[in-house]
Amino acid sequence: MTSFMPRALNRTALILFPAFDWCISPTHPEREERLLYTRDQLIEEGLEDVDNIVFLNPELASHADIDRVHLCAPSSHKLLTESHLISAGATLRVARAVMDKEADNAFAIVRPPGHHAMQTVFGDRGFCIVNIEAIMIEYIRRHYGVKKIAIVDTDCHHGDGTQDIYYNDPDTLFISLHQDGRTLFPGTGFIRESGGPAANGYTINLPLPPNTGEDGFDMVMERVVMPILDEFKPELIINSAGQDNHYTDPITNMNFTAQGYARLNQRLNPDICVLEGGYSIEGALPYTNLGIILAMAGMDYSHVKEPDYDQARFRQPEEMTKYIAGVCDKALEVFENRGKSKEEALKKKVVSERKNIFYDTTGFNVDEVRQYHLCPDCPGFTEVTATSPRARIHAYTVPFNACPTCQRTARDLFGATQPIPQTITALQDRVADIYETK
Amino acid sequence: MIIGIDVGGTHADGVLLEGARLVAKHKVAVDQEHLSESIISLLGALVPNDRRQLERVHLSSTLATNAIVTGNLDPIGMLIQAGPGINPDFLANNGPTWFLDGAIDHRGHIIRDPDLRLIDEAVAAMLEAGIKSVGIVTKFSHRNSLHERFIADRLGARFPHICMGHQISGLPNFPRRVYTTWLNASLTARFAQFEKAIEQGLTQLGVDCPCHILKADGGTIPFARAIEFPCESVHSGPSASVMGCLALADQSEDAILLDIGGTTTDISLLVDGTPLLEPYGINIAGRPTLIRALNTVSIGLGGDSTVAFADDAFRIGPRRSGPPMAQGGTTPTPTDALVVLGLLAVGSAEKAAAAMQCLCPGEPPADTASRLLTAFAERISQEVAAMIDSVFSRPVYTVSALLQRRRITPEKLIVIGGPAAALKQSLENCFNLPCLVPTDYEVANAIGAARTQLTVQATLYADTADGRVSIPEISCLEDISNRFGMAEAESKLEQVICGIASDMGMTGRPTIDFLERLEMNVIRGFETSGKILNLKAQIRPGLADIQGEQP
Ligand SMILES: [Zn+2]
Ligand SMILES: [Zn+2]
Repeated sequence: MTSFMPRALNRTALILFPAFDWCISPTHPEREERLLYTRDQLIEEGLEDVDNIVFLNPELASHADIDRVHLCAPSSHKLLTESHLISAGATLRVARAVMDKEADNAFAIVRPPGHHAMQTVFGDRGFCIVNIEAIMIEYIRRHYGVKKIAIVDTDCHHGDGTQDIYYNDPDTLFISLHQDGRTLFPGTGFIRESGGPAANGYTINLPLPPNTGEDGFDMVMERVVMPILDEFKPELIINSAGQDNHYTDPITNMNFTAQGYARLNQRLNPDICVLEGGYSIEGALPYTNLGIILAMAGMDYSHVKEPDYDQARFRQPEEMTKYIAGVCDKALEVFENRGKSKEEALKKKVVSERKNIFYDTTGFNVDEVRQYHLCPDCPGFTEVTATSPRARIHAYTVPFNACPTCQRTARDLFGATQPIPQTITALQDRVADIYETK
Repeated sequence: MIIGIDVGGTHADGVLLEGARLVAKHKVAVDQEHLSESIISLLGALVPNDRRQLERVHLSSTLATNAIVTGNLDPIGMLIQAGPGINPDFLANNGPTWFLDGAIDHRGHIIRDPDLRLIDEAVAAMLEAGIKSVGIVTKFSHRNSLHERFIADRLGARFPHICMGHQISGLPNFPRRVYTTWLNASLTARFAQFEKAIEQGLTQLGVDCPCHILKADGGTIPFARAIEFPCESVHSGPSASVMGCLALADQSEDAILLDIGGTTTDISLLVDGTPLLEPYGINIAGRPTLIRALNTVSIGLGGDSTVAFADDAFRIGPRRSGPPMAQGGTTPTPTDALVVLGLLAVGSAEKAAAAMQCLCPGEPPADTASRLLTAFAERISQEVAAMIDSVFSRPVYTVSALLQRRRITPEKLIVIGGPAAALKQSLENCFNLPCLVPTDYEVANAIGAARTQLTVQATLYADTADGRVSIPEISCLEDISNRFGMAEAESKLEQVICGIASDMGMTGRPTIDFLERLEMNVIRGFETSGKILNLKAQIRPGLADIQGEQP
């Protein structure tokens, strides 16, 4: 029988939830209008009728799903609105679609985004409150027992929140491609940020110069991302699919394109994509989102081009190519040396790190100290102390891959800790799936 | 008085109603090749002696549906302009197609005008091929119809029939717009002939009242308008049956409607008493369309369906292989079970019992029969549950809509069709809901056709930053001021719908529902540059008010 609609080679599940009634503030880039034109384009294309593409509605994440990942002050109940629970819940729904084999891959086109949300949360940061990818990953680990997961963050901004959450986890490979932190928020993501003492070499940062275009991204994918993934052999690949590398994005300075994004996803072949940033809402998002969907579905994306697309316009100068090649070499070196620093760190038993986290939306600083309690048998648990002008968190966090000894030690330490006023004292045990505060 | 006629595959039913009262009913055999003659003969038996008493004739026609099924369509040419997006080559599988190279974006902005040479080449090729009917569709023509109209103008009078996508529906979905336009163009000439034959017949009968055609959405349009939009007459059978159920068993809650026939069961749903519509339109001949239609599901399950028993389960349908065994057939059917249980008095009770023995040798026939009926009802119930699920999963785009979603919770079953009364108990047991079998249900479809009123749908897209409003259904593309707001948009759309309704002969002011209302600030560079307003409104499918009767 003649087919009157195209057929996707891969069964692809989509959640398209533009949240037309939610914004950070009416003129903020993260406003109601952001996914309007994307919705209009995807619906007009008839994607809902394409064989093997299925649209799903989001569901609401539970606060337990949030507390499994984050340490919220004053609490996840107080910080999150229904909109946040929906955008997080959408990632859980697509995860289930993939894990239950309803679909081969899935894309959650939702807002608000999440990759700037760190483990401790005191408010909105870089348009994000909670890290929707991390919430999804820990949900998958909890319900499906998946261990090794790779996150490739292709948003223009460094995925500092995701990096923070998985910094000391050798089972989560985090690769971020972004505009150099010296030129853009959040100002991090340098090659030297390469993972905590138990997971050094499992955080790979690829800071790219402003104006990087298709050639630069192709090079990074080919020389670094794909070879590292081949070596790491993740059970799942997640793409934090921000689209603000686009040449028309108003808040960044890159030269990436819809064709480029589609090709990148075709090569990466992620199991799940989660939309992150992207603020060229008319000139980029309708095309980049469509390009990514078609690439995931295994369909022809060659006609997905911005109205003013001209490949020749973005040919990259020789010098830039050389510079990016240098970044690639250094990043590969980081991965090659992975795990080597753990032995040295084990001698110290506890390694401390201190950092300052800036919350840009309302403008305050958090002083955070992380104490990595190292263990020869597992990545160890972490003691986190974070202080904002209004609240304080003191928590013991046990990763999903902790050994029983570390799990017990963390619980004992939590039990012995005296609660202090104005301080959230918490035990977050991902092995037992427990979140307790006092 | 109103005459309602429902044409089926083998026969046509007609009724003459005075208000809600059934004055006369009649049935004739139908010859699909000579459809208009069958209809005229049926009309002849129904027209009241005093012709002036007849207000309207409502006709559900199988002409379009049959033309599609038999592939008996006019050769047409499609001019398609896709612009950036999915590779549009698949749209050419449909038939002779010429792609143009202009582009319109999601906001209705013109990116590039189509190359005139390509249009002219297409025209030459179509003339050469003897094509008389042309369909023109551009992507986003519901936002901006300029290109479709420009191309149509360029074709001018060289083609007798030109169909433009934006006039058929203001809904998004480009492939559906293409297929709907194709279907419409393919039916135009054939439908015009049919209309002429019916008009002549009516004149001969001395009838000069308006004649309306039943649509798939549970509404009607005047015959004259159906000539322009013949695709609207497709698949009106289920719509007659749903409206018939409504007419015979008025209902204001959520309910399940079943039309159980010999080989199929049609299922539809009422939400707060209103029949549920498809989000876009029905699928016709493997093509998704924008033809507004009631959400009905037809399953291959009926009184005469073949039944087999294996692995401790009944397999019912989807085929029919001859009559029930009680009536001399060779395979067991649900009808045999009804006969065994004394619920239906047709044919031989002994042969019916033998049918049950065939299925489960050694078991008491009555036990087998009642288990079979339970299985029959369960099959319907699964299908209903799946429909309710799929309605619940329709995409929503706002937080409030997601949080307020309500699952349809039927309070009642309304069942028509041959085995309806006999199956009442089984259905009630299975669904645990009261089951209503209206009287006169054998002419429910014709009554449905008679009692149905006009439906209209229109959409409005206003962009005050661009200073323009589009109402595609009437090819409206007008300038607006930057103060144009929701209240104005609503009243403009209301006026348009009232205008269309009154052009179609509706007297009195219709009730208009707003199905979608989106208002969005357009922000550029931290400043509000305007507003986008997107509205969809309708005259919902319902029964015409009856004079002198309290609603
Ligand atoms: Zn970003
Ligand atoms: Zn340990």
